Amino acid sequence: MELQYNNEHGRNDQIVSQFLLKTLHIVLESRVPSLRPPPSPPRSSSFVKKSDKWFNLALGDRPTAFTFAHRDPMIIDIILVQEMGQNQSGYGALVETVIERWAVQYEYSRASQSQSSESYKKTYKKSIILLRSLYSMMRLLPAYRAYRTKAKGKPCDFDITYKVSSFSVPFTRSEEQVMKLYTFFPVEAQHGHLSVSVKYRESLSDFNLETSATFPPEIITDYVGSPATDPFRAFPPVPQRPHSWTSGGPFTKNQSPPAYHSSSGRFDLSYSPSPSYDVYSQRTRQQSHHSFDDSPPFSPSPPMYLSSGGNYIQSRLRSETAPVSIPNPLFTRHLSPNLSDPNRHSLPPLSPRSTRYEPSSHESSPAIRSLKKSEMARVGDLSSASGSGSANHYSSSHKVSRDNKDDSGRFSGLLSSSGSPRIGFSRSSSRLSLQDELDDIDFSCPFIVDDVDTCDFPVSQSGAGGKQGKKSQDAAVGALVRMLRTAPPLRQDSSCCSDHVEAQSNASGLFMSRKTSDALEELKAYTGIKHLILSKSKDTL
Amino acid sequence: MNCEVCQLKELDVEYFEIREVLRCILHTIFFHRALGLVRPKDVDLTLFEITYVQCGDAELEKKVDDKIDQFIDRVEKHPNKKNQICLSFFEVKNKQATWFTHKVEHLYWEQWYINLNVAHHPKPHSGKSHHSKLVLDPGESASDEGNARRATLESSLHEVLFQIIKFVNEKKDHIPPIPNMEGVSFPYEITISSSSDSAFGMDMFKRMLQTGHPTMLS
Repeated sequence: MELQYNNEHGRNDQIVSQFLLKTLHIVLESRVPSLRPPPSPPRSSSFVKKSDKWFNLALGDRPTAFTFAHRDPMIIDIILVQEMGQNQSGYGALVETVIERWAVQYEYSRASQSQSSESYKKTYKKSIILLRSLYSMMRLLPAYRAYRTKAKGKPCDFDITYKVSSFSVPFTRSEEQVMKLYTFFPVEAQHGHLSVSVKYRESLSDFNLETSATFPPEIITDYVGSPATDPFRAFPPVPQRPHSWTSGGPFTKNQSPPAYHSSSGRFDLSYSPSPSYDVYSQRTRQQSHHSFDDSPPFSPSPPMYLSSGGNYIQSRLRSETAPVSIPNPLFTRHLSPNLSDPNRHSLPPLSPRSTRYEPSSHESSPAIRSLKKSEMARVGDLSSASGSGSANHYSSSHKVSRDNKDDSGRFSGLLSSSGSPRIGFSRSSSRLSLQDELDDIDFSCPFIVDDVDTCDFPVSQSGAGGKQGKKSQDAAVGALVRMLRTAPPLRQDSSCCSDHVEAQSNASGLFMSRKTSDALEELKAYTGIKHLILSKSKDTL
Repeated sequence: MNCEVCQLKELDVEYFEIREVLRCILHTIFFHRALGLVRPKDVDLTLFEITYVQCGDAELEKKVDDKIDQFIDRVEKHPNKKNQICLSFFEVKNKQATWFTHKVEHLYWEQWYINLNVAHHPKPHSGKSHHSKLVLDPGESASDEGNARRATLESSLHEVLFQIIKFVNEKKDHIPPIPNMEGVSFPYEITISSSSDSAFGMDMFKRMLQTGHPTMLS
């Protein structure tokens, strides 16, 4: 690698490449809040990474890594995402508007080849100045205020994302009219010149970019379970890249859900503004791209669509799916009282079962809900026993849910309720593992029963009811009750536990021949248990 | 070596705005002339919605503040005058005995003139000041006028910053080799003058002779 840069030409290429990277860094770090690295512990003032010393402008860690051919223009679009046209249910389409378009290019000029071209040292010095002025200019353009508003971290009704590509679809005439062009004076280089220009919207007042004080993300996040109810509920697939920001037409304010599609693609990547996000997004989006160090760039790459995504989009997308399972918040919210941050810690994987409970959960009493909680905890333990990694989620959910750096798309997806198929897979797998566990103890999952009346299982409270029931029914419920009996707040006396242990030992034999009559008897038993529990809860209330 | 001169757009400022405006302009210029390694530091103005960039050099910051204090003192002593700050970058040449100076010669290669009209005298006035173009009435109209004036100043300050950026981009050939790789790379000096000051013209004349080129005055 070193040999390449010993000559004038190599040095020139290196400068051009680093210039493009530095420009990208400057533009993104002052426009896209979620790409900002977290404040690092203060280092000694003399420490600056070697890669950061380029052009004598130390900016810190690069927000993201890109590879591109330095011969292609680099077009950076800064996109404002807002929800427009809210309908009665309160949800509108996400509209994207390009508020800035930066064009950075090394323009070859044949004429300069014949002349005595600039030495690379002069080119370097001049590009230092150009980058300084670019850095200043980033703070003078109107979009900077939008960035600052967003960077405050308070809930906003807009989001800022970006897109880097080597081509651009031209603006419509109406868009051109509101955009102004600023061109930096080009820097002469060996075989051409480096040019930087920007088209920007002069005024962002049309967008009413204010922090939204009334925006209540907390409520919406209770719907974390919603995509989980149907894990394969389609979020539309990420569209083809060339269309990803035309979305079937020029940018207009009336842009409809096709814009939303691309945001869902972004949403997939954007969990929270943390540096690990970049790792994740790079893994999923940039399988074929490598980080750009001092090695020369590769062949031209397709446009890369990365986003910053914010809580806003996440919660909005969640809310989009909310109508699917409205009762769930009542269910899931109560089920995760241990978790201090309600925004993040509902336990979605069990909601598939809860879906089948939809009608019944309305009628669930608090006692039943508390039963469910302990049951879920127990179920989680079982699943972990079966080796399913996803179930560890349940028992340590309050930790995992804070783990933004979870590389597995499953968990971060679970927490952020992204609807990507990957999440669906993991959730179904968790469900299956639970099933396996239950099957192992020869008991069909009681929650799969569709009947309204068959809701819960007795814990030790209704252990007495179980005792009163027939032995065959005890055997049927014994396996599940065994899980629940050790739930600390619900355990009452050990006597009923021993009964269930006995019942369980008979369970395997009894399950050999199950018939419809057995099932009907079981049903009656469940009904009786349910009534018992209801009556008991009425007593306790 | 030619000396490039940039006359920045004249600004009408109030007394209490001087410090912020000068800091903003001076540091912006320095940021584009400190070609050694810098860690840029963003600074938000409190009076305006403008963010400018500093080099992050504490020593430079102190020097700039000291100069601004001097300027403010001067404004207090010489009210109702056009005041000018000149930021000059020079090269240090070997000692040459000339009939102007026996010191080490400063070869100026760039000069920036910051022109300020200070509108109000620091002491409270009951009436208008000479330079005030606004009639201040008590009540809401005063705040409206004040807001309009401030908005005009903000946009003018924006223009000045754009002007700086344009200048630094267009004129690059005159910059000498970078002697110092840290902080402000080039030696500089800041001088203050007022329109009616007798030394005002002398300073300009001196520089004209030293650089050997006529300085451009607007």
